[in-house]
Amino acid sequence: MLDVALVSLIEDLIEKAGADGVIEFWQRVGENLANRIGKEAYMGWTSFNVAVREGRTAYSIEGEVTPLTDLAITDVDGDIVGYIYAMRQCCYLPTVLRVRYSVGELSKADKAVAQEYNENFHNIAWCNFCVFHERFREEVAKNIAVSGNPLECLLLATRGFDGETRISSKNLAKININPEHVRALLRNYECVYALIMRGARLKEEA
Amino acid sequence: MESPEHARMPESNPFVDIATHLFLEDLSTKVGTAGLNNYLISLANNLAANMPEEEYDSWDEFLEAVRKGSSILSSFEEVHPLTKHCMVTRRSPFERGWREYAKRVGAFSKVHREVAEYYNQRIRPTAVNSLHIILQTFRDAASKRIRVAGKPVRVEQIATVWVDGEKKIAAEGRLPGLLKHAGITRTRLGMLLRSNSDVWLLVPE
Repeated sequence: MLDVALVSLIEDLIEKAGADGVIEFWQRVGENLANRIGKEAYMGWTSFNVAVREGRTAYSIEGEVTPLTDLAITDVDGDIVGYIYAMRQCCYLPTVLRVRYSVGELSKADKAVAQEYNENFHNIAWCNFCVFHERFREEVAKNIAVSGNPLECLLLATRGFDGETRISSKNLAKININPEHVRALLRNYECVYALIMRGARLKEEA
Repeated sequence: MESPEHARMPESNPFVDIATHLFLEDLSTKVGTAGLNNYLISLANNLAANMPEEEYDSWDEFLEAVRKGSSILSSFEEVHPLTKHCMVTRRSPFERGWREYAKRVGAFSKVHREVAEYYNQRIRPTAVNSLHIILQTFRDAASKRIRVAGKPVRVEQIATVWVDGEKKIAAEGRLPGLLKHAGITRTRLGMLLRSNSDVWLLVPE
């Protein structure tokens, strides 16, 4: 019931701190959680991707993550510096349904937080939880080293409860991937992100 | 979860529960133990206030709704009426989230226990951690939204057991009366606490 109660908590916090205050709160909580989980190191992408598949990385706390190993991200020399990862189901979807079956309707406060985030931070959120989620992933990436290099997480695309999609042109441009590839992924997945080696010289930057 | 209503309700993603725990921990650094206690109480009250009211013609009809999971009192937990007035919850609705927290994040922050101690001293001595403040306050507030044969109903916590086996039982002065109303003995209560997470009383006002 804690997840359904969270919806009331957000409503209450919006009254006290405003939507921007909730965003600040969520981002701080995302950082704290990532830091409490701690550091991880992998010998290379193969061992990291196996760990993701087996649910052993910090990202596994979110639920089932699929490493799309056919979608490698390469640097200017053609070396693999990252991959695309995807979740079939948004972490918050069960909560949305649980609210529907217990309370009746998701609070407007939820949308208000997402809207504030989309207007002022990154136009990719569907619900208040996306705010926490994006920061959490970014912080976790800093704590994971693959072949000795810390990672960077770029949220690429999301599909909302109603089927509408959001694609981050800013982040897609960084990794030089065609938006149509990601759009096709959204038919199967609800949340798509990239993990790359921090500081990698990507093609777009060449 | 066995009934059609329970089958329809998906299980929450424990990640959302963990995030909420961290949210509460962050909040406690700003408002302190007393402030967090007030926050949890108002959170549970708000949640119940947002849920639809209920009315039943008879106590039997109400108990059937509780058993099937169609009453707000059994929206988040699987409740089994043991007698007409003694309810047991088999498994804490917070167990999955807590297990995942312990597995992925580490030891449960002590703030959850500290706020429960505060609550136990001031309200009723039946919370092991912060989550029980939410659950017990929610049941209280939810029961006020139900009418059975035109009369309101009342809930009282008899005992709570956490996942690690720690128990909290109603105050010694109140326990005999609660057990009598519930229609169980102290020995029976001890037996119930081996395999259930909550034992509570549900009576017409």
